[in-house]
Amino acid sequence: MTTELVSEPEAAIVEGPRRKRRQKLVPYLLIAPTLIFLALFFAYPMVQGLILAVYDDEAVLPVLDKPTIDGNQNGQLPQGSSVEILDRQGNLIEGEVTSDLLTELWFRVSSEDGAQGWAPETRIRVREESSDGTPLIGTVRTKLGAEADPLTDLFEVPNESSEVAAKVEPSVRVAIEDTATLEVWFQVRASGETADELGLVEGWAPSRFVQIFGDEVSGRIDRGTDGVFTTRFVEKMVEDRFFGPAWRTTLILMVLILPIQFVLATLMALVIHARVKANSLFLYIFSIPMGMSDLAVGILFFSIFTGNGLLNSVLEGVGILDDPKVFLSSDTRNWIIAAIVLAELWRATSIVMVIVVSGLQAIPDETLEAAELFGASYWKRVRYIMLPLLKPSLQVALILRTILAFQVFAVVIALGGGEIVTVLANETYRQYFELRNTNVASAYAVFILLMSLASAIFYLRAVRTQQETSGS
Amino acid sequence: MAEIRIEKVSKVFNGAYAVREADLVIEDKEFLVLLGPSGCGKTTLLRAVAGLGMADAGRITIDGRDVTYLRPGDRKISMVFQSYAIFPHMTVRENIGFGLKMNGVSAAETARNVDEAAELLHIEELLDRRPSDMSGGQRQRVAVARALAMKAEVLLMDEPLSNLDALLRLEMRAELKRLLADVGATTIYVTHDQIEALSMGDRIAVMKDGVIQQVDGPSEVYAHPANRFVGSFIGNPPMNFLDGQVVQSADGVRVQVGQSSITPSPTSVSALTDFVGEGVVVGIRAENTEVLNEPRGDAVKVDVRVVEPLGSQNLLTITVGGNLMKVATHPTFETSPGADLWIRFPPEQIRWYDASSHALLVGGPD
Repeated sequence: MTTELVSEPEAAIVEGPRRKRRQKLVPYLLIAPTLIFLALFFAYPMVQGLILAVYDDEAVLPVLDKPTIDGNQNGQLPQGSSVEILDRQGNLIEGEVTSDLLTELWFRVSSEDGAQGWAPETRIRVREESSDGTPLIGTVRTKLGAEADPLTDLFEVPNESSEVAAKVEPSVRVAIEDTATLEVWFQVRASGETADELGLVEGWAPSRFVQIFGDEVSGRIDRGTDGVFTTRFVEKMVEDRFFGPAWRTTLILMVLILPIQFVLATLMALVIHARVKANSLFLYIFSIPMGMSDLAVGILFFSIFTGNGLLNSVLEGVGILDDPKVFLSSDTRNWIIAAIVLAELWRATSIVMVIVVSGLQAIPDETLEAAELFGASYWKRVRYIMLPLLKPSLQVALILRTILAFQVFAVVIALGGGEIVTVLANETYRQYFELRNTNVASAYAVFILLMSLASAIFYLRAVRTQQETSGS
Repeated sequence: MAEIRIEKVSKVFNGAYAVREADLVIEDKEFLVLLGPSGCGKTTLLRAVAGLGMADAGRITIDGRDVTYLRPGDRKISMVFQSYAIFPHMTVRENIGFGLKMNGVSAAETARNVDEAAELLHIEELLDRRPSDMSGGQRQRVAVARALAMKAEVLLMDEPLSNLDALLRLEMRAELKRLLADVGATTIYVTHDQIEALSMGDRIAVMKDGVIQQVDGPSEVYAHPANRFVGSFIGNPPMNFLDGQVVQSADGVRVQVGQSSITPSPTSVSALTDFVGEGVVVGIRAENTEVLNEPRGDAVKVDVRVVEPLGSQNLLTITVGGNLMKVATHPTFETSPGADLWIRFPPEQIRWYDASSHALLVGGPD
């Protein structure tokens, strides 16, 4: 009995800190996969996107002192700079030398029926490779298009202007006997930068990076291989004629939508919180827009505002209009904005409502009863108790909605087509898909991201300062 | 003057009565405790008085004014909630002054009332703090101060001490009693703690299953429980109840409990005469028995099962005629389980209860 009593506190001392340390390990273990996940699928793509906006990976082309990849760098030429072509040389790394060479990989193949010759790499799908990666067996690709000759030519030498040795059917298996890599190098001279100064640069560059003009002696650097950081894309974005309108419209939509949306959402939440009879029915009705895609909502509202849509039918039926009014056209920018505001209000107010409802439910019943008992009318309870206690929920909803408002896209496209009324997200889309300008698109995306971040920080600070000042 | 009259008030939840035809009159400046186990409807009745859950039937008047369906804010009442219901976003000063502000009291008078209430509860130095960094006891004081600042003539308290730890509860109990006596508001105080009820109330209304069982002063409720439930709910240990049989013997009416018989007091003989040949329940408090070491007169021989020394007394668990009962002895009284013991039931301390209805037959306060 006595020994037990003595040994117990000792054990506790030994056990105590060890157990503590073990307990603290668990959160780190739990957070590790999260960090890995974040790094892989969030931080990495985001950083890549960010880099695209400010990094031109084809900005400069190094020129070498010899027409081979082993050559030493003589200097570099920026993309688009004019060059004078002094000399040209074709390299055949393996196979026969020909006069006019193409920058292509060629395969010398033989089919099962004995046809033999050279075919460009684009025509052969490699099926089997040796251990060092050399292609051994392949299949002839099917030619696409009804007009095209279904047969693939095999040439005498790795050159399309040489004699056709044979023709093979698509999908025929071939054995690959030899490969030839062909390259043309140009010796160019232009003003560029050398290792330590700006000036005349002279050197060899692979022909695929140099666009030559008809006179065969002048050209320009088509694209480079080395990247540099640049504000070029950001400048291009800011100078883009759609940037100003897109930025303005996005802000106008936000200013028009958010205040109305928050008043509506709070009212809806109060209706649900009041626990009236058809309480859950209201919740379901209010939640319907949450289940709809924004594009669908845009199309829905388009159908309301269209020439023979709901709005015109009603207005004609009531007798306000004699003929259908064209609401959504290139002359009715304000109507388009009004339609977008209505659609966005209808679509996204319920998300705010859900957040506010959960905030209201977190207020204990007794707190509201106490206010009622001490003589606060319903609106005074809203003013003095519910709204102050909803502040954190409203803050979250405000951040969420502002970020979403910067990203508004599908509704705008559906209602306005993206030309008369354009927004930042639409310009990102236009730059990426229509103008194929990935970097400027990325600059737009980064701009949206920075605006979202700035607004979130602003809201967080605004609310915190308020608490600090009233608390001191 | 603020007399509260509760007349035939009923409240139904999902088809079941939470409160059934409660009749209660709380006199001006009286401290009435609503006591009962959880789910007995005491809080429901209080909320009906407060207006937070309107009565389904009946009438409630305060100072002659029918308030049954009045909004809580219009009843001129004040309340302390079980969870305190302090407004977390306001300072203590704003909390205490909230009711006055809502009722349009001038800023100067509000400030005076707030200071007064804070002084009463010794929380002057907390006035500019927020409830989030306060202890449970401090929040409780703020809740009471907020209720007192209203200077309402009716004060309702819903288990205000139940969220405090035992020591603090004991301290606050005495302080609240003193404070409320000074304030002189008509008070309804809901609790499930019978010690709190006995120690604080001018009168106690004991409730069970939505029905008021007994309304009396603390000593009457303790000494003369109106029925078996009240006797077993109030007092620690609860009142002992033994099944007996009324018999007519040569020397008058006697009650047979197991092998032994008890002579009733002269005042209860007449009432018991009607029950000759029928069962009756004998009720007696643990401390009202006489415990003897040797047989004497009408003492009954019992078996000792458990001896619990509690410091101020020794609590014995004994068996009498198949009934378990608890008796209290002086702490110096020595006995042990298995020892022979005799106990005597002083006839004037026995309460007789109907075997089927469990209602008090005789011995109620006169």
